[in-house]
Amino acid sequence: MIELLAVSKTYTRADGAPVAALAGVSFSIDAGEMVALRGPSGSGKSSLLNILGCLDTPSAGRYLLAGEEVSRCTDRQLSRLRCQRIGFIFQSFNLLPRTTAVENVELPMAYAGRAVDRARALALLDRVGLSARAHHYATELSGGEQQRVAIARAVINDPPLILADEPTGNLDSAAGAEVMRLLRELHAEGRTVLLVTHDDEIAAAAGRELRLRDGALVGDTALAGAG
Amino acid sequence: MAAAKGRVHPLPPLAEKFEMPQGLRLAWRTVARNRLRSFLMMLGVLVGIASLTALDSVGESTRRETLRRFQRMVGTFDTVIVRPGANRSRGMPSLTNVEPSLKFTDARAIAAEVAAVRQVALLQNAFDVDVRSRDQAASPAIFGVSANWTDLRGEEVAAGAFFADEEVAGLARVAVLGADAAAALFPGQGVAGPLGQTVRIGEVPFVVKGVLRPRGAGPAGASLDNLVYIPVTTASRRLFNRDFLTMAIAQLRDPSQSETALRDIRALLRERHQLAAAAQDDFTLISPRAAFGRVAAMGGVLARILRGVAVLAMVIGGVVITSLMLVGVAERRREIGVRRSVGASRGDILWQFLLEALLVSAGGGLIGSLLGLGGTQAAIRLQHLPAVPPWGALGWAALLSVGLGLLFGVHPAWKAARVDPVAALRS
Repeated sequence: MIELLAVSKTYTRADGAPVAALAGVSFSIDAGEMVALRGPSGSGKSSLLNILGCLDTPSAGRYLLAGEEVSRCTDRQLSRLRCQRIGFIFQSFNLLPRTTAVENVELPMAYAGRAVDRARALALLDRVGLSARAHHYATELSGGEQQRVAIARAVINDPPLILADEPTGNLDSAAGAEVMRLLRELHAEGRTVLLVTHDDEIAAAAGRELRLRDGALVGDTALAGAG
Repeated sequence: MAAAKGRVHPLPPLAEKFEMPQGLRLAWRTVARNRLRSFLMMLGVLVGIASLTALDSVGESTRRETLRRFQRMVGTFDTVIVRPGANRSRGMPSLTNVEPSLKFTDARAIAAEVAAVRQVALLQNAFDVDVRSRDQAASPAIFGVSANWTDLRGEEVAAGAFFADEEVAGLARVAVLGADAAAALFPGQGVAGPLGQTVRIGEVPFVVKGVLRPRGAGPAGASLDNLVYIPVTTASRRLFNRDFLTMAIAQLRDPSQSETALRDIRALLRERHQLAAAAQDDFTLISPRAAFGRVAAMGGVLARILRGVAVLAMVIGGVVITSLMLVGVAERRREIGVRRSVGASRGDILWQFLLEALLVSAGGGLIGSLLGLGGTQAAIRLQHLPAVPPWGALGWAALLSVGLGLLFGVHPAWKAARVDPVAALRS
């Protein structure tokens, strides 16, 4: 599913000095894996996630997503990949505020070239246990509810890859547990799940752990968890 | 190790994406949810388009009305008017204020010798002449004219008939009354009442042969109906004892020949009046179409100033659109980031914001042109102007409002498209 070959990302600081966020990272993730990505802040996790999520392109190296060379894609092609291959889940949920839950779920459909399918959006909300809240505005929902809406949104276009950036970071433990249950469910459906986390317990849900430090991959361990 | 569970999510081929209706729906949603802001963005375009539409329609309507009145005065446009004297006096000529230089024979020569001229109508007129019927007195204008006058002026009789060439040749004492003169001299006798009765013009009796249809007001607003027509020969020999004309009107064979006609008539008259090469003309030639052009141009200046004001309002409206949209882009950075993360390309974002601008300005244009047309209807009804079809103005309004939306929306839309989704999602 994912293949990274010597991927580097270099930013230019305001004073003109280059900063290496990623330095020659290589690994591959097979379809259907559930992988935890860990590392201290500043280790390059976010940069790596942005590249994996096709929001950013590497400065050097190659990235193949489902066999497609991403590093040379145009903006339009990257958008198509984000739309149909990837589902994002953010720590801060990132729902549109003056928009109802169901409209938030429908959002990616508008960019996928098919008609918006309200029934499908409602079915997914039902699956994350929120059918009663479908017509509430995002701001009227609790954190846990917002994250479950975000999960429904992430899978509305049926993407094979889920990228979750600290999905439980802003949630209490009960809500976090519910979110993790849903993520494991997505994994069980055959989706590839990559999970950025600080939490040992949450990382343990994954079958494999990648560790980053100072922009380099320093560990790649198989775990006993769900993998 | 991964696919150990056996079930791997299928990979459908990538679909092509994003169509216009979706984008339009999206833009509409934003516009509808930010009503106050959308209204403020609309305002300038609305005011500009409204005044432009109204100006255009009222202007066109006024122009038509002026044309109508002008035409009512001169009859047909395809003429050259010959007036005695070099000075271009503005008012209507009469025996008391013209030079005695334009003779009957001059007019006949023009008709006979200038190829571009079909016929020439003759006029010898005086104002405020005492006219009496048996028991009433009035002072209408007396127009001594040739029988072909009606061809050029489009006079129509309501009762009786206009006099004919034979009556002109025979110095007949017949009169045709304008509607106002008829009403003043024969009150309460109806349109046909005066026929056959006698009126005294000065001391000379005339038999009423016809009564004209009312023509209404001329361009200056004065009535065109307070006059009495008599044969020009009778006027000259039996009434006024003058052998010169106050005006001759040459009707052209072909409207496009007015330049040729002007040149030939001028040459002929200079020759007949034996003017030296350096001498000024002792007559004036007027082309009604050119004269109307000057009248219409005076109205045009005011319209142009007002139009400038309307355009200014639209430009200000456009700047408001740009600045409010730029604020919107800054406020909606996160929304842009979210949309980008779920699959919107830069082009999609650009379109979304551009469509919002277009929707707002098109809305402003729509409401504005409706208001403008409403105002036009009111003006037309209040001033009794002729109605004009609004299609021209509406077309301009549509074109302008869409153009404004594009022009002033493209910069903020471009900015929205350039928002870095990574930074926007982190904020």
